[in-house]
Amino acid sequence: MSLFSRFMDGWRKYRKPGYYDEFDYHWTMTIDLDKCTGCEACVTACQAENNIPVVGEDEMAKGREMQWIRIERYWEGEYPNAKLSFIPMMCQHCDAAPCETVCPVGATYHNQDGLNAQIYNRCIGTRACAVYCPYEVRYFNYYDHEWDSPLEQQLNPDVTVRGKGVMEKCTFCIQRIRQAKDVAKDDDRRRVQDGEMQPACVQTCPTKALVFGDRKEHESQVYKSMNDPRNYRVLDELNTDSSVFYLKKVDA
Amino acid sequence: MNVSIVPALKVLRPAAMLVIVILVGLVLGYWANATFVPGNSPEQPIAFSHKIHAGDNEVPCLYCHTQARRSPSAGVPAVSKCVGCHLEVATEKPQIRLLMSYWENREPIPWIKVHDLPDFVHFTHKRHVLANIECQTCHGPVETMDRITVSSRAVNGSAQVGHPWKMGLCLSCHRENEVVNGIDCLTCHK
Amino acid sequence: MPNIDRREFLKLVGAGGVSVGAGFMLREANKDPREYLIPHVLAPEDFSSGLDTFYNSVCSMCPAGCGISVRTREGRAKKIEGNPAHPVSQGRLCTLGQAGLQALYNPDRLTAPMRRTGEGESASFEEITWEQGLKQVGDRLDLLRAARRGNRVAFLTQGVRGHLAQLFESFMRQLGSPRLLHYDFDHPHTLYAANQQFFGESRLPYYDLANTRLLLSFGADYLNNWISPVHHSLGFGESRQGRADVRGRFVQIEPRMSISGAAADEWIPAKPGTEGILALGLAHHIVAEGNYNGADLGAWTNALADYTPDAVAEQTGVPVNSITRLADSFVDTTPSLAIGGGAAGNHSNGVDTLVAVNALNYLVGNIGQEGGLVLNPEPAGPAVQQHRASYSAMVELAEAARQGEIDILIISGTNPVFTLPPAAEFAEALAQIPLVVSLSSFLDETTALADVILPSHTYLESWGDDFPEPGVGFSVGAVSQPVVSPLYNTRGTGDIILDLARRMGSSSVMPWQNMEEFLKYGWRRIYQRGDSQTLAQGFDAFWTSVLKAGAWGETTNGSTAFTLNPDVIAGIGVAPPEFSGSEEDYPFILHPYLSPNFHDGRGANLPWMQELPDPMTSVVYGSWVEVNPVTAEEMGLSEGDLVDIQSPHGQLRVPVFVYPAIMPNVIAIPIGQGHGEYGRYAKGRGVNPIEILSPLLEPITGNLASSATRVNLTPTGGRVKLVKTGGVSRDLGRDIVQHTSLGVEVSSAADNSIPITEVTT
Repeated sequence: MSLFSRFMDGWRKYRKPGYYDEFDYHWTMTIDLDKCTGCEACVTACQAENNIPVVGEDEMAKGREMQWIRIERYWEGEYPNAKLSFIPMMCQHCDAAPCETVCPVGATYHNQDGLNAQIYNRCIGTRACAVYCPYEVRYFNYYDHEWDSPLEQQLNPDVTVRGKGVMEKCTFCIQRIRQAKDVAKDDDRRRVQDGEMQPACVQTCPTKALVFGDRKEHESQVYKSMNDPRNYRVLDELNTDSSVFYLKKVDA
Repeated sequence: MNVSIVPALKVLRPAAMLVIVILVGLVLGYWANATFVPGNSPEQPIAFSHKIHAGDNEVPCLYCHTQARRSPSAGVPAVSKCVGCHLEVATEKPQIRLLMSYWENREPIPWIKVHDLPDFVHFTHKRHVLANIECQTCHGPVETMDRITVSSRAVNGSAQVGHPWKMGLCLSCHRENEVVNGIDCLTCHK
Repeated sequence: MPNIDRREFLKLVGAGGVSVGAGFMLREANKDPREYLIPHVLAPEDFSSGLDTFYNSVCSMCPAGCGISVRTREGRAKKIEGNPAHPVSQGRLCTLGQAGLQALYNPDRLTAPMRRTGEGESASFEEITWEQGLKQVGDRLDLLRAARRGNRVAFLTQGVRGHLAQLFESFMRQLGSPRLLHYDFDHPHTLYAANQQFFGESRLPYYDLANTRLLLSFGADYLNNWISPVHHSLGFGESRQGRADVRGRFVQIEPRMSISGAAADEWIPAKPGTEGILALGLAHHIVAEGNYNGADLGAWTNALADYTPDAVAEQTGVPVNSITRLADSFVDTTPSLAIGGGAAGNHSNGVDTLVAVNALNYLVGNIGQEGGLVLNPEPAGPAVQQHRASYSAMVELAEAARQGEIDILIISGTNPVFTLPPAAEFAEALAQIPLVVSLSSFLDETTALADVILPSHTYLESWGDDFPEPGVGFSVGAVSQPVVSPLYNTRGTGDIILDLARRMGSSSVMPWQNMEEFLKYGWRRIYQRGDSQTLAQGFDAFWTSVLKAGAWGETTNGSTAFTLNPDVIAGIGVAPPEFSGSEEDYPFILHPYLSPNFHDGRGANLPWMQELPDPMTSVVYGSWVEVNPVTAEEMGLSEGDLVDIQSPHGQLRVPVFVYPAIMPNVIAIPIGQGHGEYGRYAKGRGVNPIEILSPLLEPITGNLASSATRVNLTPTGGRVKLVKTGGVSRDLGRDIVQHTSLGVEVSSAADNSIPITEVTT
């Protein structure tokens, strides 16, 4: 294909919501708010898996926290009827992502597995994507981060250690997806089975509030979970077509 | 009134000459570095010659680089692998004596990494070896190299020396062979 | 050719030369740094480069004993997961367990044995060899043992189970010393005593949350750090939304909303220390309404006569209709389960309170039933409850030290200088002991006062085993194996003790060379309990299979039949709690609670835990005191205002956090910060509320009534900014968290335009 026709092909795909007529896998996560206890095991698991730096007290005071998955707290009511709800929030991997449209260099795009991808070495750090993201789930590296030796021995070699000037966010543990696909390819070129691979947060959640899988597979746990009558998507009215479904918290 | 530009030019001439000389000097220096110390073929602690081993003696690549078929990293052989043969073979040669001194001191040989991809790239030898791609496709004619140089065999089969290891090398092959998800950034960028 | 004079020519040549050099260096600087490929000398057998190797082991970050699976790459530990085969963790793990990697790779680890030099202000530690350290301690031990003065040796350890506990016991028996103490701040002494009293069991029962339909928790923060948080979280999730037709309901009764309180369907504030009275109020209503028909009904009616709903309502502050409603639903919902502990057990009436909770379970007949309270079988491995030291035992130890009765104190894995209130005067007592030996991996407050430090491996580098307590209804065991080679010049705790045992001439009784050998010896007994298939494979194959699986289990169940001793019924009753100080001088009750990030302070040296926002308040890197909003307004306090908290035994200065779910006359401070040592991440940060606790005791166990300290609050006029991730709500009226009521069907998932107004709070 000539360069021009390749360009036009890509342009046409890009203009279609979600780019693709059909996804190869369509990775989806559901979060049951009736089960989430706010224990933050997912937060620490994600930090360990994805080489997320510890930014320190000063940066935290400036609001520059670095947590690809964070727990938000919402208080309602007054004593003695005060109630606290927790909601884990990470990149929603929107099929119609606002962040993908604004990146001037194309460092973020939607891939054929339904993932919103962030390519670190293409990013030039305009931070427009963080502004466009309605969920505020994109985090910027304002500094080159350091690990007090020997804490760097713990770093995951399957994940890039990001330098200064680069945006980062939840990837649904793409390194684990890649490895699961590798294992599946060895095993007679089959597809990745339900439950074979889970992001770090899903794997560690002690109440099993997080469920992950391929929604194209109708037998999967995530497909059943996302079709639960309690399901909804956060800020759905913005039509971001996110891939994370939440199950409403039950008042009883 | 006619004002000539020539006096101004005359004044600027020394400055202009300086700028030209500096620019030419920079280019010359850059070229000199690229030609004489390109960095794509560093001198190794032991003058291991792939030509002798893989070329003349036809030792298969996977005999030493055992992990290539099942791991993302091909692996560099342990010192014990070399000693396996060289306890008996060519023991009087000075480089072999150097090798045995590492072995006797139980010291690893500090090879300098020649084929170094950036840390944000995920390359898996396993998938490529299992796809029956010859090592020489990306590494060039290793069996002819006395000292390893970064090289590759281009898509049209000719050897390319210098620094051909750019993203284009991977992409051209992925496109040519229509690899599944081959041009998706996330396939290689971690 | 233009005319160039010599000066200009030379200038150009010079500039040209410099720029050639600059161009050369420009390309040189843009080259990637040189990297090396360092091969092995001998090809390793147990891992391949680029591929992961998983090792199963046991987590030691809290006493629960979850099985873990550690992913390692080329000899380095990369990620800890729960072990799917282990019944306690079932593949899941809590936040502190995930942070265990930072304990292993902590920059402030002790790397070699050390000895104190100098005195007082100029005291410091100098590095010594293992031979020097072991000889110094071993010789002294041997002398004492030979002179039959082995009882002048004391051994203070964190609560351990399994064969390490047995090793400690053997060691002390060889010395002829009864002074073996397992001390943990959070050990639920009153819960054990209550279970001993009610069930005659020295083990904790299994609380079957997964199958229950209604859980009443009297103060037990079961999702956070009450005895086995991962397992309880699994049970919670299963009970809530794991079954198709039933959603479990959870009620939490406590003066300050904990994480379990936030997850509960109903949070009921009860006056501190009155949880047991409330439990008996429920029991009274159950019996009075004729919902209990056991043969001992008469005895129960007598025992519960005083606990009428009105009387209980007055003492606890819980309205009468709540009491009757809870009691009715506890009886009507089957199965239901009552648990108690945490702060509720740490009062002067702690044991009686938890006996009352057990009584509730008895009255609804859930003992031994699914979804209720299941008695555990005997553990397969050693279980050594009798050495658990309460506060009063520690005070006794300190007193013995002051009297000059202790010559050697060995401390392993516990930090009493931090976790005991200064009223115990433990640090001063340490100074009276001629030889204090610490086996800790970190320079914590207690280790900083030691004379000799023989640092241990962390749990990821050690051999050990565990038989989790509480059990899960059947026998479980797991072996903890090293997942990486030791990083530093440290040794396993068991290996150190075995070495010392050799040096004091006990090698005939304790002949094992190292902990691994001792474990294999101990597990031979477990192997022999196996069926014929297990026995046929031989011990080595059995051992390998236990290591590979990371768990061992046996289907012996605990007893289901249970008859209650009638004397117990007569003794049931909960006295009102006692507090230190008078209400006029000290109008607030201090509620110290175990921080989810730091547990009892052990996690404060982990940067991930310092940066983790507190689940309830989202504060990081510091301490705070939680104050009721109305109280705060009355006192003119807002967030960040520095206040002085004064108890009859100490004073602290800490910023205010206005907390929506705490009783008006109760204030709460998390435990875990306020370290004076313990490394760069923990030192000099926040406050330790244990420092101002009054030495009030629960009389039966000698447990510290840590929730019984009265305090007063004085604004200082100073302010700090509390660093937190919460603050202005991100919700902004957009209904980010949506609720629904049971039985309300919502439109199906295919159409995701759920109207925003469908919120039913």
